[in-house]
Amino acid sequence: MDLFANLAHGFSVALTLNNLLFCFIGCIIGTAIGVLPGIGPVATISLLLPITFGQPATTAIIMLAGIYYGAQYGGSTTAILLNLPGEVSSVVTTLEGYKMARRGRAGAALTVAALGSFFAGSVATILVAASGPLLTQVALSFGPADYFSLMLLGLVISAVLAQGSVVKSIGMVVFGVSLGMVGTDVQTGQQRFTFGIPELSDGVGFVSIAMGMFGIAEIILNLERPEARSVMSGKVGSLMMTREEFRRAVPAVLRGTTVGSLLGILPGGGAALSSFGSYMMERKVSRGRHEFGNGAIEGVAGPEAANNAASQTSFIPLLTLGIPANAVMALMVGALIIQGIQPGPRMVEAQPDLFWGLIASMWIGNLMLLVINLPMIGMWVKLLAVPYRYMYPSIMVFCAIGVYSLQNNVFDVYQTVVFGIFGYLCSKLRLEAAPMLIGFVLGPMMEEHLRRAMLLSRGDPMVFVERPISAVMLGIAAVALIAMLMPNVRKGKDAALAEGG
Amino acid sequence: MSWALSRRTMLAGSIPACIASRGARAQAAAWPSQPIRLVVPFAPGGTTDLVARLVAAGLQERLGVSVIVENRAGAGATLGSELVARAAPDGYTLVMSNIASHAISPAVYRNRVRYNAVSDFAHIALVVSNPTVWVANPRAGIRTLQDAAAKARGPGGLDVATSGAGSSNHLMVVRMGQLLGVELNHIPFRGAGPAMQAVIAGQVPMMSDSLPSSVAHIRQGSVVAVAIASAQRHPAFPEVPTFREQGFDLASDSWFGLSAPAGTPAPIVARLNRETRAFVALPEVRARFAELGGTPGDLTPEGYADFVQREVALWAPLVQAAGATAD
Repeated sequence: MDLFANLAHGFSVALTLNNLLFCFIGCIIGTAIGVLPGIGPVATISLLLPITFGQPATTAIIMLAGIYYGAQYGGSTTAILLNLPGEVSSVVTTLEGYKMARRGRAGAALTVAALGSFFAGSVATILVAASGPLLTQVALSFGPADYFSLMLLGLVISAVLAQGSVVKSIGMVVFGVSLGMVGTDVQTGQQRFTFGIPELSDGVGFVSIAMGMFGIAEIILNLERPEARSVMSGKVGSLMMTREEFRRAVPAVLRGTTVGSLLGILPGGGAALSSFGSYMMERKVSRGRHEFGNGAIEGVAGPEAANNAASQTSFIPLLTLGIPANAVMALMVGALIIQGIQPGPRMVEAQPDLFWGLIASMWIGNLMLLVINLPMIGMWVKLLAVPYRYMYPSIMVFCAIGVYSLQNNVFDVYQTVVFGIFGYLCSKLRLEAAPMLIGFVLGPMMEEHLRRAMLLSRGDPMVFVERPISAVMLGIAAVALIAMLMPNVRKGKDAALAEGG
Repeated sequence: MSWALSRRTMLAGSIPACIASRGARAQAAAWPSQPIRLVVPFAPGGTTDLVARLVAAGLQERLGVSVIVENRAGAGATLGSELVARAAPDGYTLVMSNIASHAISPAVYRNRVRYNAVSDFAHIALVVSNPTVWVANPRAGIRTLQDAAAKARGPGGLDVATSGAGSSNHLMVVRMGQLLGVELNHIPFRGAGPAMQAVIAGQVPMMSDSLPSSVAHIRQGSVVAVAIASAQRHPAFPEVPTFREQGFDLASDSWFGLSAPAGTPAPIVARLNRETRAFVALPEVRARFAELGGTPGDLTPEGYADFVQREVALWAPLVQAAGATAD
């Protein structure tokens, strides 16, 4: 088998001492920056890029990849423990993960996140190795109309399945979409809703919103109720998952891996959609769905697996087409070009060491992450026992540093403050932040694809129903909407939610 | 900072830095004595960032002090450029000036840009320039600009993808439309990557792109190079005819250079110019640029300043014609 020969070659490259060392360094740095709120992989990789100049290209890219998925992984730690999502994907993890932590199951949440990620990462790595070029064709078959319909489906489902009042959640989705409209219009270059503030011309910062609405708002809320604080620090709970939790997590991880592997191939929206998609799916089909909103383990296991699978398969467009799927990948392309390697369709043949070495190191990196993180869970959970008068100020300081480091601009810090206050008000009014963030992330992409599809079709909206992929997505979205609007189904949903709390 | 630094360079960098910190202000004669900040007005990962990192590594070695790349993206590269225009003219803050920040964006953001791309900077050196290339999907049936013109005049018109509205690639589409007398259907994307993917997938038949982001795909044959917008044929792609050869009087380069705040002492500017030109003329650097389809710059500070001035005058009317102003 070619595949096994190639993988064996890859492992022989990845298992050299130097490459192992740099993979390890990358994973450690990645985990660390993932844990530190706000400091993302883009800032870190751009800072560390000069280090890699002195190393062979394969080593450099192995380290950068380690930072990338290490950060994905570390991000879930703060999301679970402190309600601080650093990235789009970890927004979903806060929903059930933080609730689990409050119930004293932080250890179990972290463990399932680690194991689920490792499993999903392993499966996705094999997928990349076995059928990367084939999957490229799937990505290429998605046109603007199909992307639009996929995003619309995501928004509709997130509104339909949100907790509490449907009107409120639709309102938050719409508000999120409007926030996403701020900035320079991609098609015409016009400024929209920027009020003459140059910093807003590239839009409102995601990290500012996520940190403000979740982390900072949560801190303000906790200051309000001293009793809740003491409950949490008193109850750290057992670190290991119970047998029951494990049984519930397994199917969620399997579903999450499937969803993530598929969506990760689509550049741009794919990785963001994967964890939302998996969360929504678990909420609908898992055995523990009645517990959602109260710390259901499926709500951590599924999205974490999906997110990790997607971050592996998102390498496919980069490795087979030479087209970076996100900013981190773009930086890796930069690193390769500086090394004198032109990433592109011929990289598999021209640079087999690099290609197969990277794939093998992905798996080794995932294993390392597991080994690094499992023993650390006990330490992370102890963090919750730190008195709040020390912890809150330090979280605020780290948030401020992290947000500032994104653009080296104080404006982002002010933005975070504004969204912190707004997030607090939303909590008081029982308005959910998650649908707003989904709207914020998906809205602009949806608009972009909508307008591009219309430009290409010369203004003919039929393109959305003529293309089979798009038509299927729209069909599912329509069914979901109708189901929500039908009174008896509505009643069932409300009852289910009331039961779930 | 960097492990790639040799110990000698580190020593050379740190000792003068200690001395200088005791003195009130670094003298031009003692320059450079502390780390130099190179502001990139774009996010990490783009071509500007890439060129900046190559230059930073080269200057670091030649000047013996750290050259730190700092990304300050936003508002069509004007935020970072404004920051440098207002920085102290002491030779320790530089900007990677480029066709966006110093020619096109000042026209696009004409009411909001608070710097003059010519007079608020001491322009140092042109680092590299890349021609624009028009590529097509191999199955689109476009091999020459005549084919493209025929499609544009035909019933459905011609879709042309670019890396974004207001980019030099977009303005090329506008100029081509003016020459053809028929409007091309401009399809902007967020960056060259997604646009190229749409062309390879056949969703858009044609793209106006900077050469570096197209090189690998042209070599692979996943897209066909139809015309190159340089004065002569490009040495790396001698088989690709120019726009002029095909009867369209168009030439357009995207370019990247080094600039400092106006008032930076002339000896510092001269030294930076010398080191930059020497660095980009190194065979291995030339080869690196050539792989990407770029030509290293070889202009004096005055030459580069004139060049920027010409570019500003060239692009402003086109921005107007494209309706791409942001106010």
